[in-house]
Amino acid sequence: MKKKIVNYSKARRKYLKSLRNNKILIIVLQFTVLLAFLGIWELLAQTEVIDPFFFSSPSRIAVTIVDLFQNGNLLLHMWTSLYETIIGFVLATFIGFVIAIILWWSERLRKVLEPYLIILNSLPKIALGPMIIFWVGSGTGATIVMCILICVIITTISMLNAFISCDNDKILLMKSMHAKKYQILFKLIIPNALPEFATALKINVGMSWVGTIMGEYLSSKAGLGYLINYGSQLLKLDIVMASIVILCLLASGMYFLVSPLEKKYKK
Amino acid sequence: MEKLLEFNNVKYFYQTKESEVCALNGVNFTVEKESFSSLVGPSGCGKTTILSLTAGLLTPSSGKILLDNKPVEQNDERIGYMFQRDHLFEWRSIWQNIILGLEIKKMKKDEKKLALAEDLLKKYDLYNFKNKKPRQLSGGMRQRVALIRTLVLEPALLLLDEPFSALDFQTRLKVCDDVYEIIKSEKKTALLVTHDISEALSMSDKIIILTKRPAEVKTELELSFPQETPLKKREDKDFGNYFEMIWRNLV
Ligand SMILES: Nc1ncnc2c1ncn2[C@@H]1O[C@H](COP(=O)(O)OP(=O)(O)OP(=O)(O)O)[C@@H](O)[C@H]1O
Ligand SMILES: [Mg+2]
Repeated sequence: MKKKIVNYSKARRKYLKSLRNNKILIIVLQFTVLLAFLGIWELLAQTEVIDPFFFSSPSRIAVTIVDLFQNGNLLLHMWTSLYETIIGFVLATFIGFVIAIILWWSERLRKVLEPYLIILNSLPKIALGPMIIFWVGSGTGATIVMCILICVIITTISMLNAFISCDNDKILLMKSMHAKKYQILFKLIIPNALPEFATALKINVGMSWVGTIMGEYLSSKAGLGYLINYGSQLLKLDIVMASIVILCLLASGMYFLVSPLEKKYKK
Repeated sequence: MEKLLEFNNVKYFYQTKESEVCALNGVNFTVEKESFSSLVGPSGCGKTTILSLTAGLLTPSSGKILLDNKPVEQNDERIGYMFQRDHLFEWRSIWQNIILGLEIKKMKKDEKKLALAEDLLKKYDLYNFKNKKPRQLSGGMRQRVALIRTLVLEPALLLLDEPFSALDFQTRLKVCDDVYEIIKSEKKTALLVTHDISEALSMSDKIIILTKRPAEVKTELELSFPQETPLKKREDKDFGNYFEMIWRNLV
């Protein structure tokens, strides 16, 4: 491999080096915090300063995870929750986006529906839980519906706000070029709202996990929410903790998949 | 000289919840082909309204606006509008910004227009920035891109609503010169709105002075400086006299 030869000034090299060192230091510290947390937790549990039955411990969680993998269908539970979350997330984002477009298109419809949006947004969706089970039956379907209910209104509202906050002069510019309404939508309104869309995606990742776990608490035969519920009913708190750790990993994994989008558009 | 644009006793009322605002109260003026005219008047007198009416974004409450002796509504392809801010779309490259109008008119494949766009970019020193994003350009360059975006559509009439006011003074003088050069060499007709009397003086063949709202035309002033460029015109010995005359008419 040929090395690229760049002649940086001394000060520049020093600056770049300190920048890199700083980054490494931060990462090292981040791992230290994690290790210290796990270590202290383990230590307190081993010495029974905290009751490992209620607080579990890293080693017990690790053992439980391995055990669940081998004997407890952990993969099935993970897959069920992941599947529900992704379907809920995609559908909610899509539906919210389309509703926002429709409401942008028709100012009258927007005015008519405004109070209803506000009411729906302020309603705690979990309250609809029992109704959802009556409507779509229990299981995966109900969980996905819960997911969608939680994400869709807020997506609609934030996208609609992004659409109507577009600079009026830019719209006039398009109009002065005789753009049709659909051209204004696709060439101006939507691209202009992409940063907000990326933010909405990020928020929706978190929200759809809330929806999935809530849905699974309500009624389910599989999923991490189910596992947590099951563990707590049988007082197997290691299972609860293990599920929470896995949930954490899955949710942050999904978050890191969408967050580069935001960086890309927020420049 | 042949006239391109004619305002004939044009009135315009803005309707709001509270009241009816009379913005134009019978405006009459003409703009000759291939000339550069300016509208000056007190703040809020109705200058932007005049441009919006010309561009067909508003319809007059009464009176007639003629472009090439036909009502403007029937001449819709032929007017380019440049705003105070450049309104380049940040998510598009310079080139994509320039062909925005062509896309809208479904002429993205029109070889002649594309060649014109390339020519204009080259001519005005922007070709190397073709694939850059607007944020990578200076204020003056962005303003030139905005002008080219308008020119690519080959409008018969260019409307300029304080296109330089967001620039700092130095850049402004330079961009004035550039834009003037471009408009004259492309043989365009331009109607400029400005707050800046010396800008109007240095660029125009005719200055139309408006009264305060509701606007009417107070006087018109024909200019013919011997110098070629706006910058040089500013050095003319009569420049100051004209300035004062307009100033007195405005207050
Ligand atoms: N959409 C609107 N609704 C109601 N009144 C308006 C509207 N737009 C403009 N006006 C009023 O009409 C008058 C003329 O406005 P216009 O924007 O044409 O003025 P202008 O000469 O361009 O002002 P400026 O020098 O500030 O750019 C102003 O008094 C303004 O308050
Ligand atoms: Mg104005």
